[in-house]
Amino acid sequence: MKRPVAVVGVGQTHHSARRADVSIAGLVREAVDRALLDAGLEHKDIDAIVIGKAPDQLEGVMQPEQYLAGALGAHMKPLLRVHTAGSVGASTALAAVTHVASGLFERVLTVAFEKQSEGNAMWALSPSLPFTPPLVAGAGGFFAPYCRAYIAKTGAPPHIGPMIAVNARENAMRNQYAHLREPVTLEEVTESFMLWEPIRYLETCPSSDGAVAMVLASEEAAKQGPRKPAWVKAGYSYAEAMWVPGRDQVSPRAGRDCVKHVYETAGITDPWNQIDTAEIYVPFSWFEAMWLENLGFCEEGEGWKVVDRGDQKFGRHLPINPSGGVMCTNPIGASGMLRLGETALQVMGRAGEHQVEGCKTALGHAYGGGAQYFAIWIVGDEM
Amino acid sequence: MSNLRNVAVVGFAQAPIVTRDLHRTSQDMLYPQVRRALDECGVSRDDIDYQVAGSSDYIDGRPFGFVMALDVMGSWPPRQDLHVEMDAAFAAYYAWLRMQAGDCDTAIVCGYGKSSEGDLDRVLNLQLDPFYFGAIGLDPVATSALQASAFMEHSKKSDHDFAAIAARNRAAGVRNPDALLREVADPEVLSESEWVTGPLRRGYMSPYGETAVCLVLAAEGKAEAMCDRPAWIHGLDQRIEMQNIGARNLATSAGAQLATQKALAMAGLTAVKDCDFVELSATNPAEEMILCQAMDIDPEEERPVINPSGGPMCGNPIMMTGLIRLGEVFRQLSGRAGDHAVAGAQRGLAHAASGHCLQQNLVFVCGSERRWT
Repeated sequence: MKRPVAVVGVGQTHHSARRADVSIAGLVREAVDRALLDAGLEHKDIDAIVIGKAPDQLEGVMQPEQYLAGALGAHMKPLLRVHTAGSVGASTALAAVTHVASGLFERVLTVAFEKQSEGNAMWALSPSLPFTPPLVAGAGGFFAPYCRAYIAKTGAPPHIGPMIAVNARENAMRNQYAHLREPVTLEEVTESFMLWEPIRYLETCPSSDGAVAMVLASEEAAKQGPRKPAWVKAGYSYAEAMWVPGRDQVSPRAGRDCVKHVYETAGITDPWNQIDTAEIYVPFSWFEAMWLENLGFCEEGEGWKVVDRGDQKFGRHLPINPSGGVMCTNPIGASGMLRLGETALQVMGRAGEHQVEGCKTALGHAYGGGAQYFAIWIVGDEM
Repeated sequence: MSNLRNVAVVGFAQAPIVTRDLHRTSQDMLYPQVRRALDECGVSRDDIDYQVAGSSDYIDGRPFGFVMALDVMGSWPPRQDLHVEMDAAFAAYYAWLRMQAGDCDTAIVCGYGKSSEGDLDRVLNLQLDPFYFGAIGLDPVATSALQASAFMEHSKKSDHDFAAIAARNRAAGVRNPDALLREVADPEVLSESEWVTGPLRRGYMSPYGETAVCLVLAAEGKAEAMCDRPAWIHGLDQRIEMQNIGARNLATSAGAQLATQKALAMAGLTAVKDCDFVELSATNPAEEMILCQAMDIDPEEERPVINPSGGPMCGNPIMMTGLIRLGEVFRQLSGRAGDHAVAGAQRGLAHAASGHCLQQNLVFVCGSERRWT
């Protein structure tokens, strides 16, 4: 990056299965207003808008940023619309970082949303692949075999997934914005019905309405703000082809390459000890164990052992998803940016009840496509 | 501004626009263009730092259509990547920003989409505010006609003027082997073609089509080895307006005007007449005149030449129409425009638009010399 970039404001909506009280524009505006208020800024202070969301089919509006331009305060400003599947919230924020880093923009508003109650997510998330009969089994149907492959490869015992689900719900109890704020027991999870082997009903993310926004700023602009900013240490988006023979879907190379690049840029050599918390994209329980390995927090095959020991729980060595994560809140297009926004709040020391004590360095992560798209950043409390 | 990098278009490959390619998927269509563009630059895929694409899930008729393009863009080993749900010209805009941020030196910019998979007018209705505009069935034909009416009222231009502009574009398209419509059209005949929605006649409309495009961008230091005559980007800017077509003055394009002024300022120019030609994403004669007015172009003057390629009125492949304008600027400035070359072209402007009634406008100003020393 040519020059430093900081997060100076974060805002998110309260998330739920159906935000019937607001239109799509109203939902987006709720997050934008909160982010601007947080940054002590107004629309006139914003130089450009970068917005992201997952497939337009989820709401039935094509390129909805055109309809939302007024609500976003984008009139007569540059606007970019990003779509990189599930990783989009994170890759959108990183595209906004690029806007500021380029030297052309001082303050950029970045927004991500999904109002899944407008449509049928199961249908909208069932892509038709060449030479493949349509399953219409949604993302769970697509990713369950990846989890089965992980279990087969590592010999992880069956209680790991349910443990992750229980912990996510515990964490969400401390997050006032989370969608699912009801604790569950290990017994309840293991007794819930099987959706897609090995993913049970209580091991899957909800379908949420929600939005999140952040204001990114140059060093000079950040120092004029009312609060201590979060500084972007590094951030990259990577993607890999789908039909490569030998592609490792369990620990995709794009994820490993992306995080390696991020660590190198941010000067991280020992992620397990140098990172204080991570918000990672876990739509189905088992992915938490899988990403712990892919992100280099432990050796291959050791991710489930970290979970078994509870080292990733709130208050332990490396709290993963202290907000409750995607397992408790999943407005798909916004989920990636929620991960990044939560890490910014952590290093700012403003995460509220789920604040990780003494958090100085945090990693935010999202993935998408057939585990092909990865967008990762590291933020810190100092420039 | 002086700390900006010189970045150039160094390669461009486009398949001829067709109404419907019955035999190939959008990925099948894109792959040869990626290969051609890279071959033209004399580099392999591994020499490219960054990839970015523009396409639409609704055009594709399925969610995540762009994921399929990763393979043909050469995404193995994994690549630094972004996809915008916009005309691929905006992908080029982003790649340029990324080079300014110092994050890459070379990029491929891809556009694709098989618009023939659906009824495009019905699909594009879905871009409108779902409560107040989409629900009443407005489509691009209807909104374009509303804009054309507003412009006629404002400018006192006539059906006769529309026919002349359509005929000029059609005559230019004959010289462009990638155009969809390649037949000279007499203005008298065009002005007798059936009404689509008044004041627009069949002969004034852009024919939808499909193709695939790949453009290569490179920063100074890399560009020279990849192209004998790079088209250097001197300035660019983009602006969106609110969508509400009842609240905007449709007879003008404030967004195109501001974007042009900002792009010219970055380029160190004061007027578009300093360009030898412009390639505008004007999908009907009213849009062309509105854009000329916004850009302060006098169509009576010899320069700039307007749409030497024939422009969208000779073929409008949605999600690529804008990127092709930038590709055409490259062709002109690099001596690759063949029969539709503008003699002695040293500077050109490319314009891309998005949404109904020119809601969003992007302008590139390019030259055959470097902008910054």
